[in-house]
Amino acid sequence: MNTQSSLASQNSASGQLARASRKDKAAAALVEMCSVRVGQTLFGVPITHILEIVGGTRPQAVPLAPDFVGGLVHYRGDVLTTVSLRQLLGLPAQEGKQDILVLESAGGCFGLLVDSVGEVLTVSSADHEPNPSVLDQRRRALFAGAYKLKDGLLVLLDPERLDPMRLGGLGASAA
Amino acid sequence: MDELTREFLIESQEGLDRMERCLTDLEERPQDKELLGDIFRSVHTIKGTTGFLGFKRLEKLAHAGENLLGMLRDGKLTADRDNITGLLKLLDGLRAILKIIEASETEGDGDDGALIELMHTLQHPEAISAAAPVARSASQSFAVAPVAQSAPPATIVRGGSAGPPTLPESTEAPAPPPPSAPIEVVADAPQPEAPKAKAQGTAASDSTLRVDVNLLNRMMNLVGELVLTRNQILQATALDPNLTVLSRRLDMVTADLRESVMKARMQPVSSVFSKFPRIIRDLSQMLHRKVKLVMEGQETELDKSLLEAIKDPLTHAVRNSLDHGIEPPSVRQANGKDPEGTLKLRAYQESSHVIIEVSDDGAGIHVERVRNKAIERGLITQERAANLGERELLQLIFLPGFSTAEAVTNVSGRGVGMDVVRTNVEKIGGKVELDSRPGKGTTLRLRIPLTLAIIPALIVRSLEQSFALPQGALSELVHVPPEKASTAIEWMEGTPLYRLRGQLLPLIFLDRMLSPGLKTDARAEKDNFIAVLDADGRRFGLVVDGLADPEEIVVKPLSAVLKAIGLYSGATVLGSGDLALILDPGSIASRAGVAMRGEEEQIGGTQEAGEEEAVTRSEYLLVEAAERRAAVPLGDVLRIERIPLSRIEYFGYRPVLNFEGQLLPVEDTGGVIAAAQGNPEAQLTVVVCREGNRHVGIAVNHVLDVAAGGDLFEAGTQTAASGVTLLNNHVTGIVDLGAVAPLPVDQRNRQNLHTGQTEWTSLPEEVA
Repeated sequence: MNTQSSLASQNSASGQLARASRKDKAAAALVEMCSVRVGQTLFGVPITHILEIVGGTRPQAVPLAPDFVGGLVHYRGDVLTTVSLRQLLGLPAQEGKQDILVLESAGGCFGLLVDSVGEVLTVSSADHEPNPSVLDQRRRALFAGAYKLKDGLLVLLDPERLDPMRLGGLGASAA
Repeated sequence: MDELTREFLIESQEGLDRMERCLTDLEERPQDKELLGDIFRSVHTIKGTTGFLGFKRLEKLAHAGENLLGMLRDGKLTADRDNITGLLKLLDGLRAILKIIEASETEGDGDDGALIELMHTLQHPEAISAAAPVARSASQSFAVAPVAQSAPPATIVRGGSAGPPTLPESTEAPAPPPPSAPIEVVADAPQPEAPKAKAQGTAASDSTLRVDVNLLNRMMNLVGELVLTRNQILQATALDPNLTVLSRRLDMVTADLRESVMKARMQPVSSVFSKFPRIIRDLSQMLHRKVKLVMEGQETELDKSLLEAIKDPLTHAVRNSLDHGIEPPSVRQANGKDPEGTLKLRAYQESSHVIIEVSDDGAGIHVERVRNKAIERGLITQERAANLGERELLQLIFLPGFSTAEAVTNVSGRGVGMDVVRTNVEKIGGKVELDSRPGKGTTLRLRIPLTLAIIPALIVRSLEQSFALPQGALSELVHVPPEKASTAIEWMEGTPLYRLRGQLLPLIFLDRMLSPGLKTDARAEKDNFIAVLDADGRRFGLVVDGLADPEEIVVKPLSAVLKAIGLYSGATVLGSGDLALILDPGSIASRAGVAMRGEEEQIGGTQEAGEEEAVTRSEYLLVEAAERRAAVPLGDVLRIERIPLSRIEYFGYRPVLNFEGQLLPVEDTGGVIAAAQGNPEAQLTVVVCREGNRHVGIAVNHVLDVAAGGDLFEAGTQTAASGVTLLNNHVTGIVDLGAVAPLPVDQRNRQNLHTGQTEWTSLPEEVA
């Protein structure tokens, strides 16, 4: 596992997983992130929010559903609504099988469709920066800032913001 | 809330439910010591436990009631109507406090002074007349006013026991002299618990177990999963003979398990029925009616969630019957009827449905009044109304906004109409039927499916995707081959229509509806299948690209975002492992605008039912059995099943099919089963038909076509030949369904079924 961690933060509260979206000024905490790739960008989802990773699924399309809905998948006896990160970012749809992160949010479980799931990275909250102001409106609503890694950026995704219920409400007000 | 309090709440509520039943019984048998003992124990238990848990308010009230009950039980007082009404008020008071505890874990700070006072007053019957003002003030504050009036009492007869209704004798009998001892003495006296009843209690609890409903729901879900997995395994292993035995065993065990779990969720309808004696007692007093309640089939079982769902519609129907159906005693007498009206609640099972009937012998529904009201409310036009027959007019009361109640009473007529009853019942996949005979009475029949979670559905294909259509809404399927598509589907200014047996049926193309941008010029070149649907009385044809097998599907809820689309009622996992969205025929009809004219059509449709029947009489299903063709009257065909030969079992020498406990005799005159014997993978087509009240299956090789039959005449005599018809220019024999020998069944049950069918039935005269 390729863990990226600064030595400085390791001696602070090591077992504690602070809320990644909150910027902790004083004691930098370590957070474990599941890295996923969509298009060219590396995204991170705090592993505490991930119930399961399901690989190689083929979601069933739902006609007339909002654009961001990536379809339905069968997950442990339930039918799970998925959110397509590609669609949210305005990227062209990807053919073939996709990986799904099963996320838990206030509104229940949902799936996040991504191109591929990478390793779990440990990042320090000290390396977190909020969204830059130049980011477009749509992305600013979706992203929760980014972590500076040695070899690039890890864009933080907050499952609450990706909840289809919330997105549905968002879509309605935008339209 | 802690475990102890929760236990206490459940136990107390059960105790109070029992007390309510006993109290209404007590009115009939005021001297019954056992009943009194039962009621006493319910209140005593509550009092005892509340003291322990520190609910002072509840304890005080229960204590006051207990004193009164103690005197009743010891025979120092007689259970007259005043007492019983008072005790019912006590029951309501206790219930109200329990509700507060449930919500807030405290008792609230209401004042029970008046109720306690009433309990005390009732212990001194001679004081009532002496201290009338006190008694009145106490009773008024608890709305026991009807007691003082001379409303006729309701008597309750259970289980249809035909004994003459007995009025509580105590109304006339003078109450025994009250004990001279002060109340405190009675209260402090030891209260001996009946040891006999205690023994009974433990015996019952030994064999039963209280299970959390959530756990049962979870089990039902898991069983649903298992059913899905089984379907997949059956499909996957169908070709491997080594696994056939194993998968068949899995199939059997799964079916059994499913049945058991379903059974565990079942509750007798008595749990809903039991509240009616009280409702009827109160209502008949309020409305000055004399009503006898007869309840039948209380042991009939229904899924718990469904029972919950029918509670309100049923209450509404009962209220209607009392308010509008059953006339006041004077009117009844004037019409030569028994002054005491009869309200009958009846439950019975009929194949995969439970039927619940609410019938009264009241005035029936005046169709003229219904007609006038509907015109007045602007629900239909004058011309249309003039053309409607009696049956169609009756259906009008189910329209939203309909109420014939002249005045809004606080019983009914408050706008919660029969449309709500129908909507509620249809929401759970049931149906409502209404029958009324002026002057004779009305019957409302609720047809409720046995379970919700697993429904039969037809899998259809559209947009290269599978969708599930609930079988309940499906009335027939029509295949339009590519070469006929351009002529069979007619267009009226962009609206597709299909002529179904001479009637225009609006069509909805599923692919166009689901994908608005789609160009469908190529439609003519492919097969079209029209699923004729009947959604809340709205008939339309849904055009799909293909049909797959019918399947028993497990309904899975959709997330809010997808529910908001409105066309899907859920999703399911098919045997193939694919997901399918479950289409909601009602919303599809609404979206396509079938709704408005559909309402009229349904009304018009019933009118033509007779004609339509005549048309279907001459339509036949052409089948092939052992290379011979035969015709089955289409009107009698219920469904066509494709099953593996292994599903056929033998009852004696007769082949039968077991459909979830329903035994279907399979007729094999063509020798199809015999011919396929020895081939374990053989598939068999069974045409399930209706013959009178029973269902019979006919084993065939293939179903070929649906065609109109032509009459054949005997050469020379020119008399129409029977048992034979001309189909597609071939002389074809008609299968005689009546010749299929009945299965030996319990003759008593059969009798029951028959009376259930023929008995007159109906609904209240005016309906809110």
